[in-house]
Amino acid sequence: MKTPLAFALAAVVLAALAAAPLFIPDYWTGVLLGMTGYVALATAWALFSGPTRYVSLATVAFFGVGAYTVAVLNEVLPYPLVLLCAGGIGAAMALVVGLSTLRLAGVYFVIFTFGLAELVRQTVSWWEVNVTYTMGRYVFLPFEGRHIYWQLLALAAVTLLISWAIGRSRLGLALKAIGDDETVAAHAGINVTRIKLMLFVISATLITLVGAIQAPRWTYIEPSIVFNPTVSFMTLIMALLGGAMRLWGPLVGAVPLFLLFEWLSVSFPDHFSIILGLLFILIVFVMPQGVLAKLEDLRGRGKP
Amino acid sequence: MSAELHLSHLHKRFGGLVAVRDVSFSLAPGEVVGLLGPNGSGKTTVMNMISGALPCDGGSVKVGTTDITRMKPHRVAKHGVARTFQLVRPLPTLTVGENVMLSLAFGKKRHWGREARDLAEEKLAFVGLEGRGGEQVGNLTYIDQKRMEMARALASEPDILLLDEWLAGLNPSELSIGIELVRHLQGQGITVLLVEHIMEAVRALCSRCIVMSAGEVIAEGPSAEVLARPAVIKAYLGDDHA
Ligand SMILES: Nc1ncnc2c1ncn2[C@@H]1O[C@H](COP(=O)(O)OP(=O)(O)OP(=O)(O)O)[C@@H](O)[C@H]1O
Ligand SMILES: [Mg+2]
Repeated sequence: MKTPLAFALAAVVLAALAAAPLFIPDYWTGVLLGMTGYVALATAWALFSGPTRYVSLATVAFFGVGAYTVAVLNEVLPYPLVLLCAGGIGAAMALVVGLSTLRLAGVYFVIFTFGLAELVRQTVSWWEVNVTYTMGRYVFLPFEGRHIYWQLLALAAVTLLISWAIGRSRLGLALKAIGDDETVAAHAGINVTRIKLMLFVISATLITLVGAIQAPRWTYIEPSIVFNPTVSFMTLIMALLGGAMRLWGPLVGAVPLFLLFEWLSVSFPDHFSIILGLLFILIVFVMPQGVLAKLEDLRGRGKP
Repeated sequence: MSAELHLSHLHKRFGGLVAVRDVSFSLAPGEVVGLLGPNGSGKTTVMNMISGALPCDGGSVKVGTTDITRMKPHRVAKHGVARTFQLVRPLPTLTVGENVMLSLAFGKKRHWGREARDLAEEKLAFVGLEGRGGEQVGNLTYIDQKRMEMARALASEPDILLLDEWLAGLNPSELSIGIELVRHLQGQGITVLLVEHIMEAVRALCSRCIVMSAGEVIAEGPSAEVLARPAVIKAYLGDDHA
């Protein structure tokens, strides 16, 4: 498809999605909201982890920090400034984490990022209990579901736009090369450490903003809610299902899986984690490259 | 421009093993020099230290007047040094053309867009892969992968090219094509350091040779003369043949 046409189409779909809350019941706006949140999360996650194949389980660390920033600052600062602070804190945290971990390879990186999420959760809990003497916090912002949804929709669109732009730039080429072979990439003239760090920070900042924007939805926030590791796992599995190396892959994975998870968590609340785990294994075994690659594969085989 | 390579007293240890001991030599601009030696004598390790893939434990590497000893590979590349790898290392998620464009995009001149695509095509044509930029790397034969790696190295527009057994594993007719290619490089004024076991290629290409054994330089001089020295024959074939 020609680029201008694709953009026109995307704009029409975006407008339709933005108008949807005016016509559908609140319950469905809530579903759209959650779904859009995960589309943004999965796309942002794949920005870094897709091409480089550094599988990060730190998603919820940034997501939670975003939500907590809003919980702490929402009565002190005007809302746009609160968001700005959240983004800044997320970026700073990603910079520190990136500098200390991006040298780790493979499974060590996965374990570290998982540990990081736990560490952040425990630290926030400890701080709240021992220093500020608060067990939970309230977020009082005059937002209804659709207001949050519109913000998330804008963020998801921006995230996709960033992903598209990177994919066409020399940065995208460098990221793919880094994922294949860091030594070769470095010898081609790429500053591997700097590019990994840059992408990690961009990705983490977007993830932090998703958490920040979603915060008003809970009204009451405590660490166990916003630092729930399931968020990291769901983001990962959605991106993998659709294909983390492709622009639309995370979206294609996030939409059906979110609906499935919604249904599962209502229908089988006690067995949700088990089913999540099984699905995870299934996806990794059956289509490690994601649905889109699988479809392309099948189509390619159909041709003579 | 006088892009010469100058190594002095290079040293490398791996744990208790001294892989490279006090190695010094220089390449004059436009020269094609052979770096020879039996398996495990430290040739690849020397290349790794020049390209920045491995840190040196001692000594220095200079390109012209610039000291590149402590530079990371991406900065060494910007100073006009490119290389191929002993075991060919294509980037499989990139197409053949993208493999080459990578070096163009991040080389000294940072080409991009149309210009980079055209230049990549030009480099591919030079190594005999004309019009095959759109192919997947996985579909290339072994020699074509080697060609592509050469095109990728040339795409960073180097003054100095390090070829680590680039001709190994080719059949006789491919070998003569390969030798012709390297000769063309010389014609373009690129300085080449050629690690090679194939004597036919060394004799055809290198005016001068450096021979290593057990991490040390044991001989250096005009190819024909060096290859006839007893010490060199002994290092390669063992005592019986000396
Ligand atoms: N990364 C490494 N770690 C430990 N030892 C190494 C490493 N790289 C090389 N060596 C050792 O250093 C010595 C020199 O190896 P090098 O690869 O430089 O030899 P070479 O001359 O290139 O041999 P070949 O002709 O087989 O390619 C060998 O004994 C090798 O086992
Ligand atoms: Mg070697």
